[in-house]
Amino acid sequence: MIAWSGRRKALMILAFIGPTLLGILFLNIYPIIYNVFISFTNRNQYHPNPDCSVLVTSIIEPKCWPFFKASTGLGTPYTIQSPAFANYETLIGQLATRPGLIAIAEILLCVVPLIVAGQVNKYYNRKISRPISGSGVWIIGLALTILIGWLVNFPNALDQLQTDSDFFIVVFRTILFVAITVPINYIFGLAVALVLNTEYIKGRTFFRTAMIIPWAASTMFIIMSLVWQFFFRDVGVINQLLKIVGINGPTWLNSPTYAFAIIILVNLWFSYPFCFTVILGALQAIPADQYEAAEIDGATYWQQLVNITLPLIRPAVVPAIVLSAIGAGGFQMFGTVWAITTGGPSRGAGVPGATELVMVYAYKQVFQFNAYAKAGAFAVIIFIFLFIMTIYSLRITRITEGAFE
Amino acid sequence: MIKKYWSLLTVIILAAMIMSACATATTAPVATVEPTATTGAPVTITIWHQWSGDYLTAIQAVFTQYMTDHPTVTIVLDAPQDVPSALQVAIPAGEGPDIIGWANDAIGKYAINGYITDLGTLGVTQDFLTSTYEPAAVNGVVWQDKIWALPESQEAIAIVYNKAVVSEADFPTDPTDFTGLLDKAKSYAEANPGKYLVCNQGLGGADPYHEAPIYFGFGVPGYVDDAGNVFLNTPEATAAGTWIKDFSAYAPQEASYDICNAGMTDGTFAGWWTGPWAIANLESAGIDYGILPMGKPFVGIKTLMITKNAADRNTADIALDIIKYYTNQANETQVALANKTIPANTAALNDPQIQALSTIKGFGASANLGIPMANTPYADAQWGPVGDATQAIWNGSQTPEEALAAAQTAIETAIAGMK
Repeated sequence: MIAWSGRRKALMILAFIGPTLLGILFLNIYPIIYNVFISFTNRNQYHPNPDCSVLVTSIIEPKCWPFFKASTGLGTPYTIQSPAFANYETLIGQLATRPGLIAIAEILLCVVPLIVAGQVNKYYNRKISRPISGSGVWIIGLALTILIGWLVNFPNALDQLQTDSDFFIVVFRTILFVAITVPINYIFGLAVALVLNTEYIKGRTFFRTAMIIPWAASTMFIIMSLVWQFFFRDVGVINQLLKIVGINGPTWLNSPTYAFAIIILVNLWFSYPFCFTVILGALQAIPADQYEAAEIDGATYWQQLVNITLPLIRPAVVPAIVLSAIGAGGFQMFGTVWAITTGGPSRGAGVPGATELVMVYAYKQVFQFNAYAKAGAFAVIIFIFLFIMTIYSLRITRITEGAFE
Repeated sequence: MIKKYWSLLTVIILAAMIMSACATATTAPVATVEPTATTGAPVTITIWHQWSGDYLTAIQAVFTQYMTDHPTVTIVLDAPQDVPSALQVAIPAGEGPDIIGWANDAIGKYAINGYITDLGTLGVTQDFLTSTYEPAAVNGVVWQDKIWALPESQEAIAIVYNKAVVSEADFPTDPTDFTGLLDKAKSYAEANPGKYLVCNQGLGGADPYHEAPIYFGFGVPGYVDDAGNVFLNTPEATAAGTWIKDFSAYAPQEASYDICNAGMTDGTFAGWWTGPWAIANLESAGIDYGILPMGKPFVGIKTLMITKNAADRNTADIALDIIKYYTNQANETQVALANKTIPANTAALNDPQIQALSTIKGFGASANLGIPMANTPYADAQWGPVGDATQAIWNGSQTPEEALAAAQTAIETAIAGMK
């Protein structure tokens, strides 16, 4: 047994964790600090280079570090914006104005009945009997939400927020994309998993393997996305097939609505195998005696599905749903959309395209418009948004619960 | 106790960062050595370009000949998918090309970013330029009284039509008669279901370069001028937008270079609003073509620029020698004969063989009607908004008035950011 002095012990610990700390500092913390710094500047394609005589810039900006090349371009260096949060103001448009705040209050008001319904159900779930069924509470909550939405003119409040605000346009659109695509993916995955989990299907292994093919193909998603794009081209496969039956198909990718539907469809094709695999695994973990007991009690297939299958696969599926929603197939969707529509079709100059989701918007700001500072501010807002979402999802899924036990 | 070491560690890291930041941020001193080629050591010159297909073949032959004449020099032709984006990563890292082959509209932007070298510092003089190249081409490579590139060719788009399918009579005789073009496109589409008179690769996508003949043909003096004035909320622009909407009924709804090229080859399109770069492919496909000016196109100058990195690597002199070689009379003549381009080199342009080319007459006539493409950074602000506005008009998302007013605002905002 070695008796360490406090100093030696601390130095030893430092020697072990020092490299990791440095790694975290430079790989995790520094990029965030750099991005936040850029978000307060006017850096764009016309002010691309730093003024290395400014102390803060010389510390944070890599172009000022001795091992990078100093720029000798003709552009004037970028500086801190005046006011410093100007990029944030540009992005969130009228949020900080009175009409913007009223619009937010109206939207939040619409959600209140649903939150109350959830709490009411939570309360009655702990009771032996309840005066109204859980579904009934939800229906009342939904009806109240629709009523309040009508009273406060919900669409008008949404329009108000989207005026002069790229941020709200792309975030609302992305949330809509997630809200549609994730349930569709999991419902389709559940349906396929239920079918292929029954023992009556011959060649189940073959079909299960076949179902996973799109997932394997997603490793080359650009090519597969381009194949899908070809299907929906004006002279593509779909329109050629429609022509055979005498229908002149639309120009799918030029229509904002169709283009949005197509990226949901293609995302379904890429994503459902994952949902299918997760759900199939969870289904196989359900003990058969549960179903046998239910059958003896005379439960129908639907009752078994609702009261046995879904509750028992929930622990496996909910974390997967949350991860899908905030991951590359949901909120952070980029590749498929970029390959198929590049964020288009255009809805006009100066406004995001019809399929311009948050990641596509950020990419275009940086790589097409070189609006580094604006993209930086956008990334900061999205980071805060996703951070809150992640914390909330960790709470509802209790993924990290075991870590504290 | 441990907290004390944490503080110490933090102080050390911060001190290290500050010390590194306070160090003089300059590039490595340029060694005063002779260009590598003259010392006989092997040297590789990388060119990033946007040439493709058969058009590239003739260009490649020139560089191959240079390598034969200079055995120590290797020229690598590379076509990254997105050159502007690749440059912004490669140049600060000291990597990337020695030469960039790009249109002159990027000169202002690249100079501001510090990607390219003032050729005056390498000994290129205004006298050399004016005595070697066409006046329009010289104007295209000079910005803020500095020479940023050598001009390769001048280009403007026109309607290239398939003589086996249509004749000159199927197009208006007056290049600004857009009503006539619309009528003829309508008649052709109605008489030939599923086929179209003209494919414009800019319509249906977001490509203001190919849309320019329409806007300028209706009297718009330019999207943006050198002073940063924008001309999209004008009656002329609205008239052009309205025509584009009307024309969408008699044109392919989706278009791109590849779609137009394929449609010309298989007879779906009788004509293609395109430039000299498409001719080599059409000739390979055995198409007998004619060229007619239509509208007022952008007149662009294809140029070759030398990067800052070439200067730092001591390859700038060799790079300059290569681009001078490529743009000399003999090589410009050779490339123009193969690719049917309009050479920027005056002696090559005056060569009787070149003057005899039908493409020189056709594209030359179109260029004579055209609007020179600016090389100021303001020019960079026009592409996105005009493309988005035209696409919104084309797909019906916005009326011409709404779309062009929004484009006007977007460009003015971008230019205000520059100023």
